[in-house]
Amino acid sequence: MSLFSLLSVSASGMSAQRTRAELLVENLANSETTRTPDGGPYRRKDAVFATDSPESPFSSVFESQLGRPDGVRVAEVVVDDRAPERRYLPGHPDADASGYVGFPRINPAEDMVDLMSATRGFDANVSAMSAVKDMIQKSIDLLK
Amino acid sequence: MPLPISPISPASVIAAPSPGAGSKSAGGFGSILQDAMGKVGELHDDASKSVESFLSGEGDDLHKTIMTTQRADLAMELFLQVRNKVVSAYQEVMRMQV
Amino acid sequence: MLDPLAGRLEQYMDLLSARQKLVASNIANADTPGYKTKDIDFQNEFLNAAAQIAPHTVEARGLAARNDGNNVSIDREARLLAENDLRFNIATNLLRGQIRTVREAINEGKGA
Repeated sequence: MSLFSLLSVSASGMSAQRTRAELLVENLANSETTRTPDGGPYRRKDAVFATDSPESPFSSVFESQLGRPDGVRVAEVVVDDRAPERRYLPGHPDADASGYVGFPRINPAEDMVDLMSATRGFDANVSAMSAVKDMIQKSIDLLK
Repeated sequence: MPLPISPISPASVIAAPSPGAGSKSAGGFGSILQDAMGKVGELHDDASKSVESFLSGEGDDLHKTIMTTQRADLAMELFLQVRNKVVSAYQEVMRMQV
Repeated sequence: MLDPLAGRLEQYMDLLSARQKLVASNIANADTPGYKTKDIDFQNEFLNAAAQIAPHTVEARGLAARNDGNNVSIDREARLLAENDLRFNIATNLLRGQIRTVREAINEGKGA
């Protein structure tokens, strides 16, 4: 299998980490949102990764000995279905009859750390792509 | 009369022709060159196949394809050099007979 | 003319490529639950390559797993990424030198 298929692998990694980061940013932005179009407070979202063999325009059915390389994809986006956190705020416009308001179960500190991890993951995939491009370039240099 | 062949081992492509002047050498030189051309042709076929498989995405890594083309090119260059020498040696031999 | 050294260098580059592919996969799956780091046993596979035996993938050992079973260490993969790239560079440079030497030897005969 050619080094070119590797570019697809790293691209899939970048894509998955970016989706993960986007969801985390959405969580952070909505950590205090008590009212959503669907009614009720915002529910946090999580990306679940799964291994996947990416299609590459140059790949063929006859991948060689090591088999097709493992890329990654976001298998699903899990929406938090736990009961929302309830805080006693009787004056709040979204308070219910007993004066409680539902808040998203989001820990901003946790999600910040997660976001850093997603960024690092993204960067690592960028580095991988860069290293592979270098190796392909050096192969081409054999012709010089 | 020993022929001036280039310093690298020609064993892989051409065998050194046996010393000997005379019109019989014409056939000797000819068949040597023919054999060598055959081998160069083989390497060139390998290279073409390798490039083909790279282009269609089935191939192994790029560096393998490049190496097969380099091997074919070097074999061709060697062949051309040897051919030139063989031709000039033949001409010298022919001159001697007059 | 080029072999056997060029042949060995090519096999070395094949293995480095194979290893780098696994590194890229490991990096892409650094956050995939349950994913185990993949590798090849470089030393042994290089010896095997001389006998035309194809390399096979193994699970890297000695790596700690997190709660979800994933044991990818980004630091390890980053180090291997750089190392494989460097070694590949060295190999291509050596190979280029070989090709140049052979070509010069061939063309040296031109004036003789």
